Amino acid sequence: MIARFRELFEQRHDRARALKRQGRKIIASFYGLTPKELVHAAGMVPVQLVEDRDSRYEAKGELLPYLCGMSKNLTGQIASGVLDYVDGVMVATVCDTNRHLLDIWVHQRAFPNHWLVRTPAKDDEGAVTYFTNELKRLAAELGAVSGHPVTDDGLRESIALFNENRSLFRRFYAARPTAGISAEDAVYVFAATLTSPVEEHNALMRELLASLPPGAPRSDPKLMLSALNMPMALETIRMAEKYGATVVTDDFPHNARYGSTEVPTDGDPFRALARGYLRKVPAPGSFPLEDRAVWIREAMERASAQGLIYVIQLYCDAYAFEYATLKERFDRWKLPHLKIEAEATPSSIEQLNVRVQSFVESLL
Amino acid sequence: MGEVDLKTVQKKVTAGASHRKLLAAAESGQPICVASAGIPNEVMHAMGVYPIYPESLAAISAGIGKAGPFFDESRTRGLSNAICSYTRSGLGICWTSQTAFGPIPRPTIAVTDVNMCCLHATWWAYLEDHFTLPTFYMDMPVTDDPGAPEYIDYYESQVRDMVAFVERHTACRLDMDRLREALADSDRAGHYWKKMMELRRHRPSPMSFRALAGQVLPLVIALGERDTADFYEALYHQCLEDVKEGKTPAQGGEKYRLIWNGIPIWHHLQLINYFEEKGASFVWEPYTSLNWGNKTSTGRLDLDRPFHTLAEKYTNVYTNKPIATRFEYFDQAIRDYAVDGVVMFSNRSCRPQSIGQQELVQLIQERHGLPVLIFEGDQADPEGFSWDDARMRVDGFIEILEGRTRRGGQA
Repeated sequence: MIARFRELFEQRHDRARALKRQGRKIIASFYGLTPKELVHAAGMVPVQLVEDRDSRYEAKGELLPYLCGMSKNLTGQIASGVLDYVDGVMVATVCDTNRHLLDIWVHQRAFPNHWLVRTPAKDDEGAVTYFTNELKRLAAELGAVSGHPVTDDGLRESIALFNENRSLFRRFYAARPTAGISAEDAVYVFAATLTSPVEEHNALMRELLASLPPGAPRSDPKLMLSALNMPMALETIRMAEKYGATVVTDDFPHNARYGSTEVPTDGDPFRALARGYLRKVPAPGSFPLEDRAVWIREAMERASAQGLIYVIQLYCDAYAFEYATLKERFDRWKLPHLKIEAEATPSSIEQLNVRVQSFVESLL
Repeated sequence: MGEVDLKTVQKKVTAGASHRKLLAAAESGQPICVASAGIPNEVMHAMGVYPIYPESLAAISAGIGKAGPFFDESRTRGLSNAICSYTRSGLGICWTSQTAFGPIPRPTIAVTDVNMCCLHATWWAYLEDHFTLPTFYMDMPVTDDPGAPEYIDYYESQVRDMVAFVERHTACRLDMDRLREALADSDRAGHYWKKMMELRRHRPSPMSFRALAGQVLPLVIALGERDTADFYEALYHQCLEDVKEGKTPAQGGEKYRLIWNGIPIWHHLQLINYFEEKGASFVWEPYTSLNWGNKTSTGRLDLDRPFHTLAEKYTNVYTNKPIATRFEYFDQAIRDYAVDGVVMFSNRSCRPQSIGQQELVQLIQERHGLPVLIFEGDQADPEGFSWDDARMRVDGFIEILEGRTRRGGQA
């Protein structure tokens, strides 16, 4: 079962090309705060741009050395032609790097279409109205690309499909700590939703939830992992488990999107979508600090995690800054945590072994 | 206004004078606001709120070699060195309640924009949280079309909301006549600043970028004050005299006219002097010409529509424009200011200023064939900066300019 999620993710480029051959248009999102419902309602397939494990892409990106590995990796993928199936990219920003990377992609004409989602930082009525109009602008432009105008009813159906995905994720995360599913496998369950048609992922999730095997007793200590970069997350999971810990839950900014509040389904669907996105996502750089810290603590409590590993990709402002804000509370709450800051290269990750080992041992 | 003596008025707008005004304001019971660069401080001034600007204080601390304790404080609080040095130093200032000029009083409120960079929102969220300060966010969504009418209208609503916020959390009230007065002073300051920038077209250009880097301070922290307007008017007249007398900061006469792209390297401002020692003068910078002053379509503030004119001004952010538009500014400046070469500061602290520089270099070289020197470093943190290496690179760049002069008459 898990192998199918893994296949969906690992063969994402081939599968997207196959969809394209069937006449579907593919719209990439960078990063998780793009309103994928709009893309779906315009009859296209939203896929997330995700970093590849091949770190050679980072040199091909030819970006400034002090930008994060993710931005370099993605730009390298573009330069290598890996994303040749993408009909457009939609950028919703949480940091200056991802926002201004779009400037370079526009300059390079990296994709046939480029959109910046002009998202307010607030969620009051003025901000909701502004963002509602912004979503309508985007919908009109997406509809023009696909030839399939976004209607109110169509958007409601798309919202319902993505809400179902969120609901399935919540059930999955509730079941995960006691189910027979490894941390690494859980990453693939989540990662597959980023790169697959929502209908397909929903069907697979329903099947998974109906057949989740009961778990064997977990070894202690149990951990939560907070990370952005998936290859780094997988490496950290393996490292922690090598030293006897179990990662029982995780916190990726984009899976938080799926596991958090659903988009309302009544009234004007554009306005509902605006309300559903503004300041609702528990992710670095975009969520009230107190709520974010409490969200992490409660996720740990639900999963009976005793400690947190917080992975910062070097030069990621959003995570690096957030850490300082979380640290104050974690220290106050006496919440055991380990911050690791590294590049996404194998040698950089390897150097973290000792720190992960001593953290795990400190919890025994 | 009548003739104002430059030296007299300059003493009123220095960083030290600003600190003394801050202490006096606090002593007299005026509310103190922790503000980010780029908020409409004309409104603050009109309402009787005294703003302090951590970014400016961070730049000044770096400029006089006193930023070390603030970086140390940030490090102990868990902030990575990869985070913007203004943020690290600015937070160090807030945590220690100290500046390079002495202690700062406890602030009453905080106001930030989210228009210059994404960090402003998180940084002020931290201040709000850590210091339990009532905080207002001038919302300004990221955009690649800052001139869109609905965008300006949204920001205008934010200016009005900011007034309501200040009135809710302080005893200050907005008097529209005082706001118009503040706008008139701001307009005069911005107007003379722009005229000064235009004087730099003269050959030789009369101004040193090193001096301008300091003289820009009142535009950042004290717009709306009468002293600020008087200062820029007097400074303009001084520059005009310097033009007439053919003055130049370039030693031995102006041989090369350059563009500087980026924030000044505050901890090594002597780098600018080193160019000047070699006969090179900076004549245009986006930092001075596009970031500050009256950034409206007419170049003046519309006193009849105070909120709208402020919205038009403060939404006009250079780095929110596409690379093609940014290049148009360079293209025009290279022609208007007869530029011989470009120096790019690749600033690891400032992603908005630095991302896209390589593409700009490519466009400049394709269109104008100018030599470009790229420095990598940090605006306020000297870690990793080598003065010897920097001088060697300037020497090499000057040699290229000399070679071009020998071959073609002009650099």
